[in-house]
Amino acid sequence: MDSQLLEEEFVKRVQSGAKIESNDWMPDGYRHLLIKLIHMHAVSEIMGVYPEKEWVPKAPNLRRKLALMAKVQDEMGHGQLLLRIVEDLAAPYGKGREELLDDLVEGKVKFHNVFHMEARTWADAGLIGWLIDGAAIINQASLLSTSYAPYARILKRICAEESFHMQHGENVILSIAMGTDKQRKMLQDSLNYWWYSLLFFFGPLETTPAAQKMLHYRIRTKTNEELRQKFLAKYVPRIWSLGLTIPDPTLHYDSKEERWYYTEPEWKTFQKIVSENKGPKSQERIALRRFAQDQHKWVRLAMTTEV
Amino acid sequence: MEKQTEPSSVYEVFVQRDHLDPMIHVGSLLAPTSELALQLARENFTRREQVLQIWVVPRIHIQSAEEADFHAREMDRSYREVSGYTENGRLWRMFKEKEITLEEIVRYVEQKKQSKNDLHREEGHES
Amino acid sequence: MSHETNSLVPDQLTEQQRLILVDWLIQLADDEFIIGHRDSEWLGLCPTVEEDVAFSSIAQDEVGHAAFYYELIQELEGVSADYLAFHRPAHERKNSLLVERENGDWAYTIVRHYLYDLWDQIRLDAMVESSYVPLAHGAKKMKREEYYHLIHFQHWFTRLAKCEGEARERMKHAMELVEQDLDDLLDIGVIESDLISWGILTKPPVEMRSEFYSQYKELCKDLSDGSERRIIFSKQVSKGRMGQHSPALASVLENMTEVIRFDPNAQW
Repeated sequence: MDSQLLEEEFVKRVQSGAKIESNDWMPDGYRHLLIKLIHMHAVSEIMGVYPEKEWVPKAPNLRRKLALMAKVQDEMGHGQLLLRIVEDLAAPYGKGREELLDDLVEGKVKFHNVFHMEARTWADAGLIGWLIDGAAIINQASLLSTSYAPYARILKRICAEESFHMQHGENVILSIAMGTDKQRKMLQDSLNYWWYSLLFFFGPLETTPAAQKMLHYRIRTKTNEELRQKFLAKYVPRIWSLGLTIPDPTLHYDSKEERWYYTEPEWKTFQKIVSENKGPKSQERIALRRFAQDQHKWVRLAMTTEV
Repeated sequence: MEKQTEPSSVYEVFVQRDHLDPMIHVGSLLAPTSELALQLARENFTRREQVLQIWVVPRIHIQSAEEADFHAREMDRSYREVSGYTENGRLWRMFKEKEITLEEIVRYVEQKKQSKNDLHREEGHES
Repeated sequence: MSHETNSLVPDQLTEQQRLILVDWLIQLADDEFIIGHRDSEWLGLCPTVEEDVAFSSIAQDEVGHAAFYYELIQELEGVSADYLAFHRPAHERKNSLLVERENGDWAYTIVRHYLYDLWDQIRLDAMVESSYVPLAHGAKKMKREEYYHLIHFQHWFTRLAKCEGEARERMKHAMELVEQDLDDLLDIGVIESDLISWGILTKPPVEMRSEFYSQYKELCKDLSDGSERRIIFSKQVSKGRMGQHSPALASVLENMTEVIRFDPNAQW
């Protein structure tokens, strides 16, 4: 069968709900998109460690300290699970763990905009747990129906672990929201700082050719905007209920059109942060990753040396 | 003199029933080679069901923990469990809201049947 | 009842017994808390992604054990576990100097933690039959959890020590650094004889230390350069149990209390 026919057959299968395993034949285009998507997902989990990790030493009581350690550990664990998926996909290209992590240090793979930002206060650490994890969970839940079975299986596990993250994030925020004026002010300030990063997190309004291709292959089944709308529907009422002000006076729900209207984030500014690693904390955090990669080469060598 | 045959060894058998399921251990069998172990596993373990994949693994290649203490989890770890945060529901009620659960999000994103509560929430958006 | 079983009952302790017991519990709690804190600093920086996850569980276990000891003190002193963990100044802390040192490289981290855990194991063994029943109960549980720590660090230690080249050199250097703090770690302070006479510990510290040093000598063989080590325990150098600490602890505490200091009236 020529490759044109194979491709058509493949697309017909995935569009009718078939799942693909790592050893199945797949078009190069499908493999490339999966590698790109899951590699970015994996390194985003790993880069997501740093903003919260900074607050582990400062966590204000024993329970918070333990919970934050466990939560950050889970992020690293998700990175591990996802890297393994990418490693299997990238094996035909001779790429393994070292290369995939080197790509991060060398700026060849991007990570989510939110992890380029600064976690300035304990409220920021809490808000990351509540809203950024909330956004990530909506995104991940939408990928549960992906056509690539190994990814779907791992996402199932990731989502199960995220249910602790959700409760933990809410609990931290609720404590601050019920607290002193100083605490509430800290929380409002945090929402102001993160709001547009959160909106950007779901990606541009228009469906790019790459995104179109992912929908075509059923790697994704929802558009960016659909997911953003779902996030707003679930979280805006709760943000309001805490007495917080969302820094967007135009934000409202149109019940006739059944959609949220909002002021768009400055797409270009945020895009630059992601594509050029030019966020407030991009370089500092990549340097931490570089430390883990470079300073431990001797350890990894020793681990694989025949004694 | 008869020729000495290869002694059979133990293979552990795993099957996967659905793309979203993990490999599940279903038992073991004796076979002289891994090729034959795989063929025998098909009839010894899955003759009555449709499966997606079968794995056979030589038992000698399986490393397992010998000490019970290896698995010890003795101290309180509720800080890393959903069950450690049951107060969230009560706290949200003070703000006239309710906590979000993962199940609710998955159901909502996949647009499966929504609970009355979810629908009610969406109607109440125009504030 | 306490008379018959020789066990110490929380609300029937003499003032002297309570003071001694609290002093000992603070040593244990502070050791576990500070090493768990140092371990947690490795989050995101371990040699492999897999080890990062595994190491964090050990960090959590140590902080969890600290929480257990702080809660025992809370019952005796009426001061909250969180207060004990977060609000005491450096000079009131009784952790050993070893656990407060900065993390250094992976070799130092492994050597420090392995030797610390070997000592911790000996301590726990001496407490599983303790006359203070809440402590005996906890020691049994913690001993079970420490089993995993020990085999994990033993694996790392042996692996790195037996490698030629950079790994071995780093391990040797780490051993030299850790060795300087061993006497401080093994010291129990002036309360030693009371701990034994009241049965809080069931093994004399002298024996505990000799057990430790014989294990230590075995480990040195892995890194041996032929010279015989002379190990004599000396209380003279001990500072940590007296509340005398390095600047490293002050900076840990400064960092640790940032949120608390932001609004002292707040609940977090």
